[in-house]
Amino acid sequence: MKQSILISGSGGQGVLSAGMLLAQSAADSGKYASFLPEYGPEQRGGSAKCTVLTSDKEIISPLPKKCMYWICMNEQSFKKFGTQLKEGGVLVYNSNRVTSPITRTDITAIPVPSDQLADQLGNPKAANIILIGALLAARKAIVDPEHFLKSLEEKFASKSDEIRELNAKAFKIGADIGKDYAE
Amino acid sequence: MAKVLMKGCEAVAEAAVRAGCRFFAGYPITPQNEIPEYLSRRLPEVGGVFIQGESEVASVNMVYGAATMGVRAMTSSSGPGISLKAEGISYLASCKLPALIVNVSRGGPGLGSIQPAQSDYLQATKALGHGGFRVMVFAPYTLQEAVDLTYQAFDYAERDRNPVFLLMDGCLGAIMELVELPEMKEPSDENTKKWSLRKRPDEKRPARALTPIYPEIILEMENKTRGELYKKWEREDVKVEEFMIDDAEYVVVAYGIAARVAKEAVITLREQGYKIGMIRPITLYPFPKQSFHKLNYDKVKAIIDIELTIPAQMRDDIALEVMGRAPIFEYGRSGGNLLDDDGTYDAIMKVIKEVG
Amino acid sequence: MAKEYKKIYSRPYAIMPVMSGYCPGCLHSLATKIIAEAVEELGQQENAMHILPVGCSALGLLYWRGDMVGAAHGRAPAVATGIKRCCPDRLVFAYQGDGDLAAIGLAEIISAANRGENFTVIFANNSTYGMTGGQMAPTTLIGQKSTTTSEGRRVEDAGYPIKMAEIIAQLEAPAYVARFALNTPKGVNEARKGIKKAFRMQLEGKGFTFIELLTNCPTNWGMSPLKSLQYMTENTMKYFVPGVYKDVEVGA
Repeated sequence: MKQSILISGSGGQGVLSAGMLLAQSAADSGKYASFLPEYGPEQRGGSAKCTVLTSDKEIISPLPKKCMYWICMNEQSFKKFGTQLKEGGVLVYNSNRVTSPITRTDITAIPVPSDQLADQLGNPKAANIILIGALLAARKAIVDPEHFLKSLEEKFASKSDEIRELNAKAFKIGADIGKDYAE
Repeated sequence: MAKVLMKGCEAVAEAAVRAGCRFFAGYPITPQNEIPEYLSRRLPEVGGVFIQGESEVASVNMVYGAATMGVRAMTSSSGPGISLKAEGISYLASCKLPALIVNVSRGGPGLGSIQPAQSDYLQATKALGHGGFRVMVFAPYTLQEAVDLTYQAFDYAERDRNPVFLLMDGCLGAIMELVELPEMKEPSDENTKKWSLRKRPDEKRPARALTPIYPEIILEMENKTRGELYKKWEREDVKVEEFMIDDAEYVVVAYGIAARVAKEAVITLREQGYKIGMIRPITLYPFPKQSFHKLNYDKVKAIIDIELTIPAQMRDDIALEVMGRAPIFEYGRSGGNLLDDDGTYDAIMKVIKEVG
Repeated sequence: MAKEYKKIYSRPYAIMPVMSGYCPGCLHSLATKIIAEAVEELGQQENAMHILPVGCSALGLLYWRGDMVGAAHGRAPAVATGIKRCCPDRLVFAYQGDGDLAAIGLAEIISAANRGENFTVIFANNSTYGMTGGQMAPTTLIGQKSTTTSEGRRVEDAGYPIKMAEIIAQLEAPAYVARFALNTPKGVNEARKGIKKAFRMQLEGKGFTFIELLTNCPTNWGMSPLKSLQYMTENTMKYFVPGVYKDVEVGA
């Protein structure tokens, strides 16, 4: 089954790295994966968005109109992409920045104060990993969380143990929130 | 060889290096910057030359220079830069020099949009430059195809002594997918030593000139030879995917990223019982004319041309082969807006409903 | 009694034994000859690579003996870059006219010079677009008439003639930048030495070398060959001053 994940936010929030990590971990676990970024010309502050697809079969179209899952990191993109989440889909959102009310009743919305939690952790850049943790705990079919953690380790292999530990912690913090929404 | 997750532009760049490309000149332009950025690191590793030219024009002329020395050379750009290269590509064709030119196309015309589009079909297939020459145009639709076609491109270019054109789009350039990379080929002058200006150490040979000016009689002769070459391509070098066309009542025609979306819609519609198929040109030139003559026009009710460009640019080539035997419909987006699964499905359904 | 003759001078190897088609009195043929002499004196006949421009000097295709590449208008320094970078052992030189170097090719020459590419560019400056019938060039003098400046070049319309040697000498990378005038034997001899020096420096890997040669165009200046040489002394050389503008081999 093709799983489709939309990740949106502003440039600099790690939207694209989150997407690449998800795609890489899916590939590492033996699935087919694709990652398609879309960004404005600005390096920081402009919008950033990506679509990740994972599947057990070859991925034909990488351009779904709507995605089953959505990680939303800021208010601006929340307003922009509201219609791109499928019925029955899952929204994991950064409750520190997404202030508009969630009005749709046909989706599962998981609020995660990821900025706050990442600050508390001492690693503001790990906000995106917290959000991924929440999503994968809620919906394991996307990518096995173990595989994701492994890919995360490998990606930061050249960094310090401290960074790697912080990343693993960030993922767990998110997972603890997301598991309450598991099917 | 294991599959790796790679970005389209980088996969093409790596495939070129493995094909023996040892010279790249290019200029930054979105959405192909990853090609020069990647090659700036990679080419020195293999003893190749990377140079960021001061313009697209300079770059294609640097490729021209490298090509005269029998070096596998490439340049890449997007629409506006490809336009600048028109003269240089014409010179490459005129001097019968092999080279690879990659277009990662974006919204046009003009500076257009940095977002993807399939806006350069006509430019690529009809007139990449002045003078009436043609080049083989490859249009991959997956990154694996892009890698495979890039890997073969230099062989075709040297075989035909003509530049080869790889038409990607900003979507395929940016997407990351699993690819299997080919073996590294070491550069060799076997195919080029008869005409290139390179001299092996201590080689004594008569002086050679490579120049794009000819006396009229010779120019006519050269152009006649080129015409024969293009006919040969049509007979022997067409690449196409004919997907479920045998009993098709509706036939989609699409290439590149549009074909990805279109194919998904075709599969879905087949599951729903519609007799629908797709002709996917892989060589845009030579155009897969014969595929259109395989269709059963007693059954075919509609041809649907789906492209990421408005108005559709492939239409005329399709119409020439269809010869009025079925109505042709167009669907597409433009200006950097992308196709999507739902919109494409709806557009095809609309045609199906219209023609019955 | 038969006299013995000793050959003391002949046409250089790199010039084809044919009659040149340049206009009577045109200094292009003289320039080509002294380049050929420099190539031969350095023993580089088999190794020289001549990059041809677009303009009258493209006719060098017919008169030069040796490997050649015809470059698109203005792009010779870029083409030379591709060639020299792939095959650094070749003696690579481009020969360009006013439009080729100072108009459409401005980016290419400044960029190649600025990168310090290890080849030689020889710029034939004759203040006109000869091949196309005498339009104004970037180097046309103030007040000089041309088919596009019938009252003479005006600053308000067209700015000032561009001094390429001075501009290139200001760049950090170039190793040798000089201007010579071909309208007197003294000037020709100095040019001859300068070109040979530039080629030698290239072979020694010293970097980018640039020679500006002041030449003429009797046809489009509308004067006799002898008058054109005088015009150069009285006008051209007052604005485009001959001299060595940069030489890394001489002092700091």
